[in-house]
Amino acid sequence: MTDAVDVNSADSWPDDADDVAEGYLANWFVREGSAVDEGETLCEIQVEKVSIDVAAPTTGTVAERLVGEGDDFARGDVLARVQPSA
Amino acid sequence: MLIYNREYTRTPTMVSVTDLRTMYEQMVTARHYEERLVDEYLVGKQPAFDISAGPIPGELHLAAGHEASGAGVCIHLRDDDTVTAPHRPHHIAIAKGVDLERMTAEIFGRKTGLSRGKGGHMHLFDPDVNFACSGIIAQGCPPAVGAAMAAKKRNTDAVAVAFLGEGAIDQGGFLESLNLAAVRDFPVVFVVEDNDWAISMPKDRVTDVQNGAQRADGFDMPGVRVDSDDAMAVYEAADEAVMRARDGNGPTLIEVQVHRRMGHFMGDAEGYRPEADIDRAKQRDSIERLAEDLRSHGVTDDDIEEIRERAHERVEAAISWAKEQPEPEPAEAYENVFTNPPAQAATDGGAAADVPGDDGETGGDN
Amino acid sequence: MATESRDYTEATETDRELTMSRAMVEAIAWEMRENEEVFYMGEDVADYGGIFSSTTGLLDEFGRDRVMDVPISETAYLGAAVGAAQAGMRPIAELMFVDFFGVAMDQIYNNMAKNTYMSGGSVSVPMVLTTAVGGTYNDAAQHSQTLYGTFAHLPGMKVVVPSTAYDAKGLMHSAIRDDDPVVYMFHKRLMGLGWMPSPSGPKTGVPEEDYAIPFGEADVKRPGDDVTVVTLGLHVHRAMEAAEQLDDDGIDAEVIDLRTLVPLDTETVLDSVRKTGKLLVVDEDYQSFGVTGEIVARAAEGALDDLSAVKRLAIPDVPIPYARSLEDEVNPGTDDIAAAVRELHE
Repeated sequence: MTDAVDVNSADSWPDDADDVAEGYLANWFVREGSAVDEGETLCEIQVEKVSIDVAAPTTGTVAERLVGEGDDFARGDVLARVQPSA
Repeated sequence: MLIYNREYTRTPTMVSVTDLRTMYEQMVTARHYEERLVDEYLVGKQPAFDISAGPIPGELHLAAGHEASGAGVCIHLRDDDTVTAPHRPHHIAIAKGVDLERMTAEIFGRKTGLSRGKGGHMHLFDPDVNFACSGIIAQGCPPAVGAAMAAKKRNTDAVAVAFLGEGAIDQGGFLESLNLAAVRDFPVVFVVEDNDWAISMPKDRVTDVQNGAQRADGFDMPGVRVDSDDAMAVYEAADEAVMRARDGNGPTLIEVQVHRRMGHFMGDAEGYRPEADIDRAKQRDSIERLAEDLRSHGVTDDDIEEIRERAHERVEAAISWAKEQPEPEPAEAYENVFTNPPAQAATDGGAAADVPGDDGETGGDN
Repeated sequence: MATESRDYTEATETDRELTMSRAMVEAIAWEMRENEEVFYMGEDVADYGGIFSSTTGLLDEFGRDRVMDVPISETAYLGAAVGAAQAGMRPIAELMFVDFFGVAMDQIYNNMAKNTYMSGGSVSVPMVLTTAVGGTYNDAAQHSQTLYGTFAHLPGMKVVVPSTAYDAKGLMHSAIRDDDPVVYMFHKRLMGLGWMPSPSGPKTGVPEEDYAIPFGEADVKRPGDDVTVVTLGLHVHRAMEAAEQLDDDGIDAEVIDLRTLVPLDTETVLDSVRKTGKLLVVDEDYQSFGVTGEIVARAAEGALDDLSAVKRLAIPDVPIPYARSLEDEVNPGTDDIAAAVRELHE
């Protein structure tokens, strides 16, 4: 079985926010155990005043959510892990 | 550069050094005020931006980049002249002589603010200098026309000025105000602050004319566009318009090109606005330009610095004072609905306008 | 601050949840794909995606012709929507804040709402008027109102007030498909905006497929036997929080979410009142001459013998003040609701 894929916050960072190190997890749209399609929006993060949709990197199941809704995180923190479907 | 919609014989305006210094001080005060409000506003709102958190909750529309319009117009006004302003009012209020401490206390929602904490930054009222601002687009125009009407009925030479944004020239209330002022020759000046953006909508997407002063053509009214946010050019255009009104010769429409240096409201990421546009706005600084004008009129750098320091101190003092002011008591929420409250006053959770039933008494003694 | 969301309706067992704004937009996008004659017009709806995220993403899919930014000319563009609707199109026109209705009310209540009747039914006005409502974020008197009563009171327009994502999508499908004018009033604090944290209730599971919630069906969000709480919009969630607190004290509150004001589901309210005998109506509009009075009147007309106690909580008849201490005083909070239920229960 392949490893779960990390959803890294750094991959979704807005272009002009290079000097910003913190983000905020505004909304989760899936739970642990939810089935997701590649490209489907998993959550919404906010960096400075910009809102970004974070997409599922692969089709599969949400294995773990690592940052809670309403919590802050650092750039580079893993937000979730998605277990690819076979 | 001033673009007029008709030919005039004009006597060129001579601006005094005193006036230049006054405008400069007001502009520096306004700019520093807005920059300081950014800091105060963001307290409690980071890293997650929660609009209702912190000492200044709610919306805040800052006027950094608009200063020349407020200063260049209001320098010609007296306390008995009326000014109405839109939701981006601070630079105009400062230039009009609004009580800065009580204005700041109002923005912080304190009991001793201009509106006892009930109005907030979009609803500042200072009757001592006849200033008011409001949050609905273009709706300051009809009341300004009304103040002008009152002046005319009473045979004084007071005038009124309505400020509005370039997006507001598409609103019915503005157009009706132009007509009413023109047909009756009311002593009112309309000042459009054109910063190119109505929130995220650029002017050319929503308005059919590039030069908003052309709106005056449809109403047989003089119109002038000040093509640069140059305080001396605004001074000149406003001098003529205010004089025309005071002399009983009716209204004028002025459009002033200004630049929005910050977002539409605090929290606006301006994703819709090209970087180049934001950069351009930041490069054209009307305050620097006026400093140059001061120097060419013989004002020294030390003098200029002294004005800046005085302006900064004044802003700091106002903010410090405001932050010490008490918050309103909850029970005050029921007061000031009416000047003559009905006999049965509002109580907790009750309807503020309850009147006694059968005896039919209304509007009892205060 | 948003925490784990709760499911209110049994139909929301899905893998994904949406905020109320995303659910609304999903319905609009579906209808726009289905029918070329559906289009959205409003201020800042194109690039900005709506000030309260009512159209996020629509410009990219449908372009500027169908997601139209309009000048700040409410009378002109809302009236234009009426005209386009009478020509058979299905416009969705947005009034940025409901408080701005003043500059355009003639087009709304004299044209949009009355043309069907005044024409004896020979014309219809199949448009949706979307608008952002509500306070609690210190935007003062001219930007914080709900005005539910104003729009519900005037005949000829259907009035819809969703409180959850699931309801928002289903009601939007119905609104767009309805041949009558529908005023769709969405509460800013329920939209799930990052910059205005919402309570935990509005984000729910939302089915991927389209579905329509009929108008005139209130939703019992929480069944209970002791006291009937009738409410709408933001206060559905405040009532739900109050109900949890009251549960600890052994008081079982029934929370009814009206969902639509016109048409109004009187029967659901009466059934509840006949069961509990005690009625609390909670509204974020002004108290006098509005929603709370209407519900109490209908309860009195339909279930007078069963009614033993009545209370209403609403914004008092004052303009909404700016300062936090003052706005908190006038807008009914969770504790106010719990206290009112306790009073009724005694």
